[in-house]
Amino acid sequence: MTEATIIDSRGSACPGPITDLARAYRNSKVGDLLELWATDKGVQADTAAWAKKTGNEILEVKVDPDKIVVKIKINKR
Amino acid sequence: MEKVLIIGGGGGGLILANHLPRKDFDVTVIDKDEYHYYQPWFLYVAFQGSRRKIWKPIASLLKPGIRFVKDEISEINLDERKVYGTRKTTYDYDKIIIATGTSPDPDSIPGLREIYNEYGDYHSNVQNSLKLWEHIKNFKGGTVALGQAGPVCKCPPSLLEGAFQLEEYLKKKNLKDKTKIKFFTPFPRAYPAEQMNKVVEPMVEERGIEVMTFFDVDTIDTKNKVISSIEGDSINYDLPIIVPPCKGTKIRIVPEKVKNPDRFIITDKKTMRIEGYDNAFAIGDVNTVPTSKTGVTAHLEAQVVSNLLQGVYDEFTGRINCPFDTAYGKATFVIADYENPVVPYPPTRIKHIMKMSMARIYWMTLKGQADPIFDYYFDFTNPKKLNEKYATEA
Repeated sequence: MTEATIIDSRGSACPGPITDLARAYRNSKVGDLLELWATDKGVQADTAAWAKKTGNEILEVKVDPDKIVVKIKINKR
Repeated sequence: MEKVLIIGGGGGGLILANHLPRKDFDVTVIDKDEYHYYQPWFLYVAFQGSRRKIWKPIASLLKPGIRFVKDEISEINLDERKVYGTRKTTYDYDKIIIATGTSPDPDSIPGLREIYNEYGDYHSNVQNSLKLWEHIKNFKGGTVALGQAGPVCKCPPSLLEGAFQLEEYLKKKNLKDKTKIKFFTPFPRAYPAEQMNKVVEPMVEERGIEVMTFFDVDTIDTKNKVISSIEGDSINYDLPIIVPPCKGTKIRIVPEKVKNPDRFIITDKKTMRIEGYDNAFAIGDVNTVPTSKTGVTAHLEAQVVSNLLQGVYDEFTGRINCPFDTAYGKATFVIADYENPVVPYPPTRIKHIMKMSMARIYWMTLKGQADPIFDYYFDFTNPKKLNEKYATEA
């Protein structure tokens, strides 16, 4: 089992968590697991749109009291 | 007397140096360049041909008693508390602050170096901005592809600012009908923060700027003039205006683990301390603090570190306040902090005057002479209060 790379984007309002995800995607390869941590509420819609566009997979979205965790599997790079 | 070494004579480095009382601190600022530049003006050099003198010698911007050394640092050893220069010089310190800013990286994307050398850009320096102005001035129509190559960039508003400046210029020159502006961005919308996007998107549409979202530049074919994205899209261009990806510092740092793969320094987002070190800090664009890479961040982080060094408790709130010129004489500000999202703050003429005035009071800001104005301003524009007034939804 590949260990997920954690992208801690908590507190980021501008440019926001999607910047950190785009950067991680650039450095990723097929099969990688990414875990994006954010406090910005827009992260769910943005990552869903991103996954659709890039052909990657959202495995899980977990809303904790202090953060939103989006687990992503890289299927295309 | 505590020995403080500041690496970098940009906004953050100078504001910090000038805020430390000379009776308690022996301060040295080191920079590879002799001059400090007011970077927000690069936009007007590139899109309006402005010849404003936006540089001053670093030494002239420091209060008396602060040492300035022009030297290119090759290594910072946080474990030995030593810094190595290029002329076999060694510096030691009690406290160190790394404030080197970012460096453009046009070599990480195939084809970008050629564009960078030929067309310039409006983020790197005055020469590159002038180079871009020459191309804009001689442009006769066609497709302009404008955007950032890579998700990490200084000053998030500057990308759309460039598109807006260009559109206004083309309209004045009656070239609008002969031109297509294609704005590409790795993000889901024209402006990355949604609340501000709602404010500016109608302007983008009204001005006929075509937006290509989720477009993260992969390669550029300069022979056929095509930009391709990681996501699988492409743009044909006649004039490319591409802001190169930015990376952190090229200085070797021991231990290497304090840098991330893009060479930014892993820093605590509230205290600016470099992970694992009580006596080492990173401020401004070079750190990994989860906020915009912008002058105001460097300014506020410098004040936090100044307080911490003087034994006064303080922490950075993540406050940003990025001026955003929407062209045609109006501007807004992108305001937020760690706790509060970006305010959907509408553009006005008065905000444009404020943005323009900043170019004048900037030099006073570096010396701390404008602190009372800023203290009042930051309180007046507190993002929590502003959101209560402007945000349409929670």
